[in-house]
Amino acid sequence: MEDKTRADLYTTMVQIRAFEEAILADYHADKKPAWDIGAGLIPGEMHLSAGQEPVAAGVCAHLDNRDAVTATHRPHHFAIAHGMDLNKLAAEIYGRETGLGRGRGGHMHLFDPMTHFSCSGIIAEGYPPALGQALAFKRQGTGAIAVAVTGEGAANQGAFHESLNLAALWNLPVVFVVEDNDWAISVPRAASTSVLSNADRAAAYGIPGIRVEDNAVEGVYDAADEAVQRARSGGGPTLIEVHTLRLWGHFEGDAQAYRPELAEVPARDPIPAYEQQLIADAVLDETKVEQLRAEARQRVEAALEFAKSSPTPDPSTATQYVFA
Amino acid sequence: MADVVFPGLSTDDPGAEGVVATWFVDDGATVVEGQLIAEVAVDKVDAEVVAPAGGTVRIIVGEGEGARQGSVIGTVG
Amino acid sequence: MTTVETTRRLTGAKAMVEAIAQEMERDPSVIVLGEDVGAYGGIFGSTTGLLDTFGPERVLDTPISETAFIGLGIGAATEGMRPVVELMFVDFFGVCMDQIYNHMAKIHFESGGNVRVPMVLMTAVGGGYSDGAQHSQCLWGTFAHLPGMKVVVPSNPADAKGLMTAAIRDDNPVIYLFHKGLQGLVWMAKQSRSVGDVPAEAYEVEIGKAAVVREGADVTVVTLSLSVQHALEVAEELAPEGVDVEVLDLRSLVPLDRDAIVASVGKTGRLVVVDEDYQSFGLSGEIVATVAERGVALKSAPVRVAVPDVPIPYARELEYAVLPRQDRIRAAIRKVVG
Repeated sequence: MEDKTRADLYTTMVQIRAFEEAILADYHADKKPAWDIGAGLIPGEMHLSAGQEPVAAGVCAHLDNRDAVTATHRPHHFAIAHGMDLNKLAAEIYGRETGLGRGRGGHMHLFDPMTHFSCSGIIAEGYPPALGQALAFKRQGTGAIAVAVTGEGAANQGAFHESLNLAALWNLPVVFVVEDNDWAISVPRAASTSVLSNADRAAAYGIPGIRVEDNAVEGVYDAADEAVQRARSGGGPTLIEVHTLRLWGHFEGDAQAYRPELAEVPARDPIPAYEQQLIADAVLDETKVEQLRAEARQRVEAALEFAKSSPTPDPSTATQYVFA
Repeated sequence: MADVVFPGLSTDDPGAEGVVATWFVDDGATVVEGQLIAEVAVDKVDAEVVAPAGGTVRIIVGEGEGARQGSVIGTVG
Repeated sequence: MTTVETTRRLTGAKAMVEAIAQEMERDPSVIVLGEDVGAYGGIFGSTTGLLDTFGPERVLDTPISETAFIGLGIGAATEGMRPVVELMFVDFFGVCMDQIYNHMAKIHFESGGNVRVPMVLMTAVGGGYSDGAQHSQCLWGTFAHLPGMKVVVPSNPADAKGLMTAAIRDDNPVIYLFHKGLQGLVWMAKQSRSVGDVPAEAYEVEIGKAAVVREGADVTVVTLSLSVQHALEVAEELAPEGVDVEVLDLRSLVPLDRDAIVASVGKTGRLVVVDEDYQSFGLSGEIVATVAERGVALKSAPVRVAVPDVPIPYARELEYAVLPRQDRIRAAIRKVVG
């Protein structure tokens, strides 16, 4: 793999992490003293993607703005890796009029026509619309594809199975991504899934399936390369399952008492590990690393500043935008 | 004057009896050739019947009544 | 010289097909998908002949995967296509409701108006032919209750065509509920309003506008779908007795033409609602609430003729006891008129 590609993967992951860390801080800052989920600058639920950056970085490296991505309740890593404007992303999370959805959607309902990005809070239900986007792209003949992302828990929902079947049957240009972060909230994979790998389930629907281990960003990159090319060239869908890591809780405020391996989790953080690898391989050095991190933080600070200085929506407009 | 004939829907049983399910025009209506004037059915298979010519429709077999395939259900002239 | 007929009679089904075909002809982005919509032509005749005319690229038979194919319709709609998706029976919405009410209906709002979903979801409703509790429902109240989707319900072939055209052209998701009894199917007892005059050219019936199908002075019957026919039959029966019935055909539930309801009931002072959906917590209550909230002066208490809160029975005697048919409509009118 070229040095530049590796460095870019790292940069993307650092950018995502910088964003998630900033949101994490702001989300908790003003919910004290007694933790009130509805209070503060960022109200509601928050599902952060720290630890899952390799999946987004590895897949989105092969996409551009004309490709669609449908993501989940934990969408920020894919949103950022796919090129969403950080200002509009942040402003939507902060519920401002300048946000992607004018504050109507919030962090789980991000819709960006510029990048064909959408996400949903309903498990597995992002798969079916991706099929429709893929069909439209196929008809339009642009070579664009749709990437549909969900978790390992979602692979037991009906929508998952229906979507694999239909995409295979109609030979749609889709890449199905399953982020196996071991936990569906508090239920471990072994308690939810009848097979060891959802890549095996792909075979049941007649499509290629590959499982990437160790949260390896380059493994994701390679698998996605093949899957994206297959989709673009009319070869139909692929399923990529990545064994990734949910570094933090399912939602912010999740004490994770159910998670026995919690103490060891920080050591499995993929970013420091990749960073060390790249330094060892002389792709980056400490100075460059510090520069990339600083730039990432600056972009995030600018985005959050934009969000926080944006107006909140006018309550009298609460019933607008139902119909076009 | 042209006959409006009940089409052959069942090739297995050419003498099968069906029903004139719907008349889209009234007795005495003026129609043009090719216009949809009736719908017939044998068992659950249905077929549209178009006017074989332009002119005035005379209904011979009424709506809901039985008729054999190939029989004359009306005239247009 | 013979002139081309500009109005001729069609069944409800053929009227729907004509609307879809004319739009498919005019707009290449319109496609049709659903179960048995291809060679079969739709279980209730909604797509007959479309496959032959437009081919399998535009008329697609789907597997039994409502979540997947309705979701597919949604995604395609967000990317410039205009899908007409058929849910075979409205009763099947249970298996796919998330895509309908959490996605199709909410995407425009959640995106702050930035993403449109110009999709039609057409579905067959209604009972009266012993298809039992899971295949005879209307359920329009359920869909109308949930924000973000327009809801239209034709009562005759001309409106069936006009509302379908309007629905396809609308940039919003529209649920189009067509009564099986109004399709004019050869294998079901024929209802009088299942065949009717339909203009040949393409036209729209405005979504959100009710129609007074019979003017009257003594009582307003607010109704929709097949019940419009039954209300008209009862109105004709009662006319010689000096009871002058006004029948208001809602045609759309979302948007609901509340002004038309209020105007009519304000004129007659008496209200009967006839609704083939379940009685409680639905459309009929919404009509009465509208009249009450607007302070319309009533000469007597309103009466709702709806399906009681029971699953629809199979045996004909039982089914017809719960359907809002002519006998119950007549009794309700007599009651409000006094």
